[in-house]
Amino acid sequence: MARKKRSGHSLLSLKRNKLLYLMILPGFVYFVIFKYLPMGGLVISFQEYQPYLGIGGSPWVGFKHFVRLFTEPTFLMLLRNTLVLFALNLVIFFPLPIILSLMLNEVRNKMFKSVVQTIIYIPHFLSWVIIVSITYVFMNVDGGVLNEAIAALGGQKISFLTSPEWLRIVYIGQIIWKELGWSTIIYLAAITVVDTQLYEAAEMDGAGRLRKTWHVTLPAIRPVIITLLILKIGHTLDLGFEHMYLLINSLNREVGEIFDTYIYTAGLKNGQLSFSTTVGLFKGLVGLILVMLSNKLAKKMGEDGVY
Amino acid sequence: MNKKISKLAVLAVSGALVLSACGNNESANPGQAANTAGNEAGKAAPAAKTKISWMNILHSTTPPTDTVLNKIEEITNTELDFSWVPDASKEERINTALASDSLADIVTLTLLDNSSVRNALKAGVFWEVSSYLDEFPNLVAISQDMRTSASIEGKLYGIPMVKDIARNGVIIRKDWLDKLGLQVPTTTAELMQVAKAFTEQDPDGNGSKDTTGFIDRSDLVFGAFKTLGSYFGTPSSWHVDDSGKVTPEFESEGYVKAMDYMKELYKGGYINQDFAVTAKNDQQQGFAQGKAGIYVGALFDSKNLLNLAKGIQDSMDLVMVNDITSTGNEADRAIWSSSNGVGGLLSFPKSEVKDEAELKQILQFVNDIMSEEVFALMTYGIEGVHYTIDADKAVTITNTELWQQEVQPFSSSRPKEPGYAIHDADPLRTEAARLILENEKYAVLNPMYSLESPTFSSEGSELQKIITDATYKYILDKIDLAGFKAEVEKWRKSGGDAIISEYEAAYKAVNG
Repeated sequence: MARKKRSGHSLLSLKRNKLLYLMILPGFVYFVIFKYLPMGGLVISFQEYQPYLGIGGSPWVGFKHFVRLFTEPTFLMLLRNTLVLFALNLVIFFPLPIILSLMLNEVRNKMFKSVVQTIIYIPHFLSWVIIVSITYVFMNVDGGVLNEAIAALGGQKISFLTSPEWLRIVYIGQIIWKELGWSTIIYLAAITVVDTQLYEAAEMDGAGRLRKTWHVTLPAIRPVIITLLILKIGHTLDLGFEHMYLLINSLNREVGEIFDTYIYTAGLKNGQLSFSTTVGLFKGLVGLILVMLSNKLAKKMGEDGVY
Repeated sequence: MNKKISKLAVLAVSGALVLSACGNNESANPGQAANTAGNEAGKAAPAAKTKISWMNILHSTTPPTDTVLNKIEEITNTELDFSWVPDASKEERINTALASDSLADIVTLTLLDNSSVRNALKAGVFWEVSSYLDEFPNLVAISQDMRTSASIEGKLYGIPMVKDIARNGVIIRKDWLDKLGLQVPTTTAELMQVAKAFTEQDPDGNGSKDTTGFIDRSDLVFGAFKTLGSYFGTPSSWHVDDSGKVTPEFESEGYVKAMDYMKELYKGGYINQDFAVTAKNDQQQGFAQGKAGIYVGALFDSKNLLNLAKGIQDSMDLVMVNDITSTGNEADRAIWSSSNGVGGLLSFPKSEVKDEAELKQILQFVNDIMSEEVFALMTYGIEGVHYTIDADKAVTITNTELWQQEVQPFSSSRPKEPGYAIHDADPLRTEAARLILENEKYAVLNPMYSLESPTFSSEGSELQKIITDATYKYILDKIDLAGFKAEVEKWRKSGGDAIISEYEAAYKAVNG
């Protein structure tokens, strides 16, 4: 219904609401200048780009860099590592803030609640360098607190930082530590707007706390959960360069090297700008496709989606 | 809602754009040069001071203050403008500077095997200087070998920085050796015995088993591994035989022996167990705190270690060893040199240095700072302020803290290091200098250093990761020899074979 109206009087409505449209302008200009124009630079993934020759002067090489990316033995490793870590993120990390905010919501003592919230928010403000350094101090083999404790209890020291088996666990653990508290904010905000009448009605029907959470709170925040899930899927291949780069070493690279770290080492450190642009372009495209798919899926399932 | 779509799309690809955005800006302003104004001024009035900007590497945490700088400017009649690049981020900084054309009149290039640096050199971004060297008394003295080593395809794109050819060796706690009644080791087997004793016999006498023999860092080149490799006869990076067949070092017998040696150290606990993730700073601190008694690295690190240990391990007494072999045979002495004494290039971008006249002014400056007077300034500082000197030209640093602030940062900018009469009076440094000089006789050079392999330039460092990872895994006993060989095979298939045949062709072209 709304669509019909718009198509008929689009020019009129543009005139009538020109102030409102004017307000979009700064954002629009920002995106054109800083986001769309630089996309032109993507053409260098089809060139053997040399900065001093510029885009105009660098030779064109067609799909050479794409062929190299897809045929290099590292490609499968990168894809596997990225997907596994993303899956860990989705399966282990994603539900945790929801559960935690539901639990926080049940806390009746305001004072206690805000103290807990403050404490769990703090790690979000620490940089990855600090988080990883603290982990190092705790987990290294020579004199690490955790390993000293294990040794004191008569156990065998564990090389957390240099074994591929531990890398994923350490990685996800650090994310939980840093971001769990902060991620509850949106859910807590969503919970506060749930209509209290629904709770009262549920109570009349004899629902206990658990039932109320399950049948009232959770369905009420479902749109928020779906939206955040889609947004997260858009960042499938974005796992945080800094975090991973700090964790990788020769002994755990086989499970730790991901697209982000590869772009950095192959591109910026070795100066292969074209090749790393290719990797970045591939990464971006995969993210875009996944967002569109998951958005469509969400709509099929009767949810709003993000657009 | 449409804005949201675009926002998402943009979010998803923006990661890819950071690099390309740089390129875009650059091409929008071709030839935009930042520091040319000064040179124009210099040309207009030749009697006035020449303005020179210099982008170079900083090894300390802070840039130097002006004290020494003013002196250098006075002597060379120039006005200098340094832009310092921290050593830890030099790869990124130099690459981005090349990509965005934000260079200086002089650019210190230390990573000549980095592909973008190499491509820039070959593309003619910098002046080719070989024909000019003979006009300047100090530059003409740069040996032909050095010029050849620093050339790319026979062309010299800058002044080679003359460094020691091979500076590595073993530094051992002498007081620990004495306490346990051990001799200074001269074979790898004896060195193993010392490491074992340092680990098991409580050399610091505190009653607990809290020391190890070696302390190493996560660096297979400048850490212990490559130096130990030399003792087992490993070639330096590449080996080429009489028929012109090229093989990488990691296919040699010595490489495997060195890995086995490290594995034995690791298994026995004679080395810090987390060396694969230890930083250089932690390694040196650990040594200074008395956690270990054997350090392998640059020989002049001994003085730094002793300085670090002040107040913590005051009994520390160090001995430097450079004559270790695996056979005990003097004829087998060897020590690696990967860059054949070339510390890098001082290069002059054409975008900043516009014409020959300007180039000659800058070459004159480089010539001037190779004089002993400026060398002394950049190494020891100002007499009476930072050091005192005796009749033998032996220097004693009087104010270490001031020296570290005002002088030390310049050390990596010196175009030439060995070959001056002025020297450090400190016995450890004198001894280190003597041993480094002695190393030259036994240095194993990298035969491919000045040769060209396009595959090595573009993919070499990514490929090297395969070998580095496999080496660590072998040492830490995660894979066996067959596993290691499989990784080498993988290296060959992924591009190593191409590198080898390119090098063979290049070697043949040069040596007939």
